[in-house]
Amino acid sequence: MSGTIVNPKPCPHLANYRKKHGLGGYNSLQNNLKASPHGKTTILKDVSQAPRCNLCSTNKGRLYFCLICSQIYCFLSPDSSHAFLHSQSERDHEIAVDMERAELFCVVCCDQVYDPDFDMAVMCKQIKELPCNNDCVKVRKQSSNKRRKVDDCGASKDLTLLMDAGPSSCLPLGLRGLNNLGNTCFMNSVLQALLHTPPFRNYFLGDSHNREICRRSSPCLACDIDAVFSAVFSGDRTPYSPARFLYSWWQHSANLASYEQQDAHEFFISMLDRIHEKEELSNSQNKGAGDCHCIAHRVFSGVLRSDVSCTVCGFTSTTHDPCVDISLDMQHAPSLAEKSTKTGKSVGISTLTGCLDLFTRPERLGSDQKLYCQNCEVRQDSLKQMSIRRLPLVLCFHMKRFAHSHIRKMSKKIDQYLQFPFSLDMTPYLSSSIIRNRFGNRIFAFDGDESDMSTELSTEFELFAVVTHSGKLEAGHYVTYLRLRNQWYKCDDAWITRVSEKVVRALQSYMMYYIQKMLYYKASDDLDCFEMSTQESAHGGCC
Amino acid sequence: MSAPNEEYASPHSQLSSHFFGDLLDSIIVDIASECHRIARLGLDRNLEEEEEELRLSAQARVRVADPSNGGETNGKYVVDIFGQTHPAVANEIFECMNCGRSIMAGRFAPHLEKCMGKGRKARMKATRSSTASQTRHSRGSPISLYSPYSNSNRSNGVDDYCNEGGLDDQ
Repeated sequence: MSGTIVNPKPCPHLANYRKKHGLGGYNSLQNNLKASPHGKTTILKDVSQAPRCNLCSTNKGRLYFCLICSQIYCFLSPDSSHAFLHSQSERDHEIAVDMERAELFCVVCCDQVYDPDFDMAVMCKQIKELPCNNDCVKVRKQSSNKRRKVDDCGASKDLTLLMDAGPSSCLPLGLRGLNNLGNTCFMNSVLQALLHTPPFRNYFLGDSHNREICRRSSPCLACDIDAVFSAVFSGDRTPYSPARFLYSWWQHSANLASYEQQDAHEFFISMLDRIHEKEELSNSQNKGAGDCHCIAHRVFSGVLRSDVSCTVCGFTSTTHDPCVDISLDMQHAPSLAEKSTKTGKSVGISTLTGCLDLFTRPERLGSDQKLYCQNCEVRQDSLKQMSIRRLPLVLCFHMKRFAHSHIRKMSKKIDQYLQFPFSLDMTPYLSSSIIRNRFGNRIFAFDGDESDMSTELSTEFELFAVVTHSGKLEAGHYVTYLRLRNQWYKCDDAWITRVSEKVVRALQSYMMYYIQKMLYYKASDDLDCFEMSTQESAHGGCC
Repeated sequence: MSAPNEEYASPHSQLSSHFFGDLLDSIIVDIASECHRIARLGLDRNLEEEEEELRLSAQARVRVADPSNGGETNGKYVVDIFGQTHPAVANEIFECMNCGRSIMAGRFAPHLEKCMGKGRKARMKATRSSTASQTRHSRGSPISLYSPYSNSNRSNGVDDYCNEGGLDDQ
């Protein structure tokens, strides 16, 4: 799915109808359109009685409302269609509207047809009927969407300055083991992922954070991250001890500083926080998280949208919040079938896309959680739905494998396998898609739709790092798998080894890092660039 | 609902079946209409790709579980990709940046904890360093400056457990 809506070609009968009647029929139809608080629309002809076929008075089968004469005709089967008979007796009465769903129907083609202007008319009615302040549906703003340039955060040509003329120079740049300093694999695993997050890497290798220039009046975590980058990309392949980095991080995060087992995700968030803080302090203009220019937010920050709707009147209140990652609840695979069937298809496997579906599904808030509806002016049962308003350059998914019971005062780890794709299209989870679906998938510019012309950003992502946790909750081990130029490497503290794709597919993933597809391929080019420049100086012993 | 066999069905159950049939037909057409729109407008997901990913994943899990498949997945390493071997506890030696003593890498963290006066006991005390004033700018929670959304009361049906996410490591 590319994210663009296909405008289907009208059948000859619809085209004919449009030629003759233009938009007149759609506009007058609005008097008979009935909008529901849930985003669906139906046709209502007579408030006082149930609709019946004009020819046979039945109310069975499917009922169609003729666009030209506003009479209702039934359809039981292609052979028994009074709607079709009607088009035979009245010339050109060929286009009708399905009363149940307000969909255009060509009685001659016997098929559902589509017209963006019809959808527009339906949506206009919906908008009129919806309680005000529902900003789900907005007419597309004229060129207010600035061209969002893809920000790869650094000049790739600087990478060629870092040379290693040794025999292992044809291995990817920056592959280096990290020594475990004592229960620090949570830190090593996240560092490995960040070291190979292309825009993040480009920023630091491109010397955007200059340690000499940076004010040393306050300890700066970014300076220490910069030092780690320099060391790891220096060409030295013996494992590196990120001791100074640990020291620096503990100085910043007093409450997390201890020699004990810690959570990699917590560490990741903490790191991004510290980078942001330093940026915030040194930069007087604080535009708010959505437009923050610190490297942490430029790379990882996206915007989530939360819609809370009243189930009675449809009034929706929307909030936008920035996020640097997405934490997902584990999907419960049906207990029956985790085994593959004979055909090799997996039935009942929990998947990342399944978890994303869960994340964006409309959730009925409990009756003990009735929210105040501004329109009804009382507390009502509500629906809540999340969606992604703006995608970041790099998407980090965090699986909530930690389950905590307040009653039993116990915690347990969910070891269930989760299938995750190497290529991921985020279109179905965007706010525009979610809202469009809520209103019946009409052809209409919903809030969040960006015309393809105005942005270089796409919705397609490629997986480049997976952080896994093995073992128990209290005693486990983190390992990171990196995908560099389509080859997977296992980074287990000091040990870097090559693994095949199938090993990665079978992993129990805890955190997954995806990057915008074109940045992924660009990053591969950067690595090639490095290879080409060192080929002359490399002696034998190629990996 | 009774069986559709009209010989034995009472008029009452015939009528029920009849209404049920009508309702069912109506729902089926609703769904067909919805899917038709999704397909025609190009909004549907690439099912082939998704199925391929699932197939590859199932295949991978089978092959990885097979013990005859070699040691790609077991924890024992012989050499890394650079031809190096490493001890169980990292034995690089360097100077502690806090006290200046020579420490072995694999024991650095526990040393540093004591050396910096951090750890469980120290966490109870309020620190007065400049870092503390910095952290006051944030919301104070180490978890996330931007708590993106409230995920309260999502019942997952995992008994009485609710998800919070964090995992500790060794």
